[in-house]
Amino acid sequence: MMKAPKVAFFDFTCCEGCQLQVANLGELLLELLDSIDLVEFRETMSERWDGVYDVAIVEGSITTPHDVARIRKIRERSKTLIAYGSCATIGGVNGMKNAFDLEEIKRYVYGESAKFFETLPTKPVHEVVPVEYFVHGCPVYQPEFLEVLKCALLGIPYHVPDVAVCVECKFNENVCFYERGITCLGPITRAGCNSWCINNGNICYGCRGMVSNPNEKGFLEVLRQYGISLEFLLRRMDMYNACRILKGAGMVYEEKRAH
Amino acid sequence: MEYAVLPKSALGSFVDALRQYGKVIAPVAKSERHFAFEEVTDARDIALKYIPTILPPKKYFMPQYETLAEYDIREGQKLYPVVEVEHIVLFGVHTCDLAGIQCLDVVFSDRPKDLNYLVRRGYVTIIGLECNEYCDQYASCGLMGTFLPQGGYDLFFTDLGDYFFVHVGTQRGEDIVANFSLFQRAESRHFWDLQLLRAKKAEIFRPEVPVDRFLLPRMFQEGFEAKVWEDVGNRCLSCANCTNVCPTCYCFDVKDVMNLDLRTGKRIRVWDSCQNEPFAKIASGESFRAERSDRKRHRFNRKFSYPVKRYNRFFCTGCGRCSRVCMAKIDLKETIAQLARETGYLKV
Ligand code: SF4
Ligand code: SF4
Ligand code: SF4
Ligand code: SF4
Ligand code: SF4
Repeated sequence: MMKAPKVAFFDFTCCEGCQLQVANLGELLLELLDSIDLVEFRETMSERWDGVYDVAIVEGSITTPHDVARIRKIRERSKTLIAYGSCATIGGVNGMKNAFDLEEIKRYVYGESAKFFETLPTKPVHEVVPVEYFVHGCPVYQPEFLEVLKCALLGIPYHVPDVAVCVECKFNENVCFYERGITCLGPITRAGCNSWCINNGNICYGCRGMVSNPNEKGFLEVLRQYGISLEFLLRRMDMYNACRILKGAGMVYEEKRAH
Repeated sequence: MEYAVLPKSALGSFVDALRQYGKVIAPVAKSERHFAFEEVTDARDIALKYIPTILPPKKYFMPQYETLAEYDIREGQKLYPVVEVEHIVLFGVHTCDLAGIQCLDVVFSDRPKDLNYLVRRGYVTIIGLECNEYCDQYASCGLMGTFLPQGGYDLFFTDLGDYFFVHVGTQRGEDIVANFSLFQRAESRHFWDLQLLRAKKAEIFRPEVPVDRFLLPRMFQEGFEAKVWEDVGNRCLSCANCTNVCPTCYCFDVKDVMNLDLRTGKRIRVWDSCQNEPFAKIASGESFRAERSDRKRHRFNRKFSYPVKRYNRFFCTGCGRCSRVCMAKIDLKETIAQLARETGYLKV
């Protein structure tokens, strides 16, 4: 049998909720541990290792000069790098800070001691170092993570679905929120989570980021018909998509802010 | 016995008896306006009055995810074909959905024959149920002529008050009737009741859009460059709801899924849709239908024009699901009417 690949988890700016998802895998985790050699995983172990990683799984976004230096080092030591969770893949919730003045936000978070902290605009990992695989989601959807990890271990590409969350939502035969007069970000958000939230009675709030070519104008028109104000929507979309340049909607937002 | 009647009071025990033929699947209410085909063990859970289910019965003939083969990479390219089947009885299928299943039958029997579909098909018993009135304003079964039974069932039920009028369509249907003692022979008064209902239906089920159904293929051909495609294209969000809920959409993608041992795995097929952005993308990154207007036009042509040429039947059953489920409110009847107006096919 081939030697078990060395796999390590690292976290940057995030809540570590995505790593918790791995710890939650239960029996599947044990099965997984049969085919990998987990060398670093803060959630459940304290050992450190200083060789080459076959697969580095990176959670969190890059928000400080120290982060930049650290992720570069990890990259140098890793054959394959997986950006893990929306903070790592699209900036995620951390991206919200990019809508504010950096000095201002620093004072807000750290108060008096702000001068001791260096900060940078939030970046997803691939904007700093090359990334081979992406696992979107806040938190990640465990079955998708396993798919990506299997692809990484086999060295074959994983294609993130570039279709709407609605696709999986209909596979699951959910009653559409729009038919109940409630709006949902499913039509512009990329699938892959098996419409997790809708299956559990919540709307999709876009945690996986937008599909590559969303019909933003059409979407705004639909929301208008449902009586949703643009500001409300942008706040909701901003929660996860701030790091990504908002096309049509972003322009309207900028205009609004300018006024 | 080609025609029979079943007292309504016997429905409960009939459904129980059906279980010997397989899992009984019937429409069940999910909300006041939403229904789904699901397994039932008690006839009281069946929604005898229902509007088309969120997903059509298609999900039992070509499941959303379906295993086609299994493999072990230690054996190289070898694939072991798999067909996952179980005996089921679909109870309460409306005529529009019967027409939808007939469309799938035609497609999957075409060369190259789809064995997975055809094998599974043999395990399904179908009991139809007539609509005495319209389901809602989205239906266009009047235009498509699908509001009356036209085969595709083992048994067909019509609700005539305190009894069901039953038409036996196949040998399997005949066996079911023979094996259940509460069926009675249909008498002339029963035929009268049925005729009365059918006459009433002929009054209310009329073409919902004033166009000639038989001219539709020509209209779609001539309207290829019509403005309506741009209009709906601008509004469409590419969510693919309209195709996933369509009883006649059968496009799929094929993927390999490896097991955690990284040695064995399976080849699956998954529903796909011409409305999805990557559907017509090729290796170089270009797409044959990059614009939403192209994709919407394609969907409509795949219902009203292309299959008429190839199979001599419409692939729209008028079930109205696509219109019900579109958050952009792109309505099939309105789209046809707008195209008819532009091309001069609207009857005045
Ligand atoms: S509930 Fe949301 S995700 Fe589901 S079909 Fe409707 S819009 Fe799409
Ligand atoms: S349904 Fe939407 S919010 Fe929920 S996990 Fe999926 S993409 Fe994220
Ligand atoms: S349901 Fe409506 S918005 Fe969604 S793909 Fe179909 S036409 Fe477009
Ligand atoms: S196109 Fe619409 S109305 Fe026609 S069969 Fe499909 S879902 Fe039903
Ligand atoms: S579309 Fe027609 S046949 Fe189908 S459920 Fe509605 S009324 Fe019945």
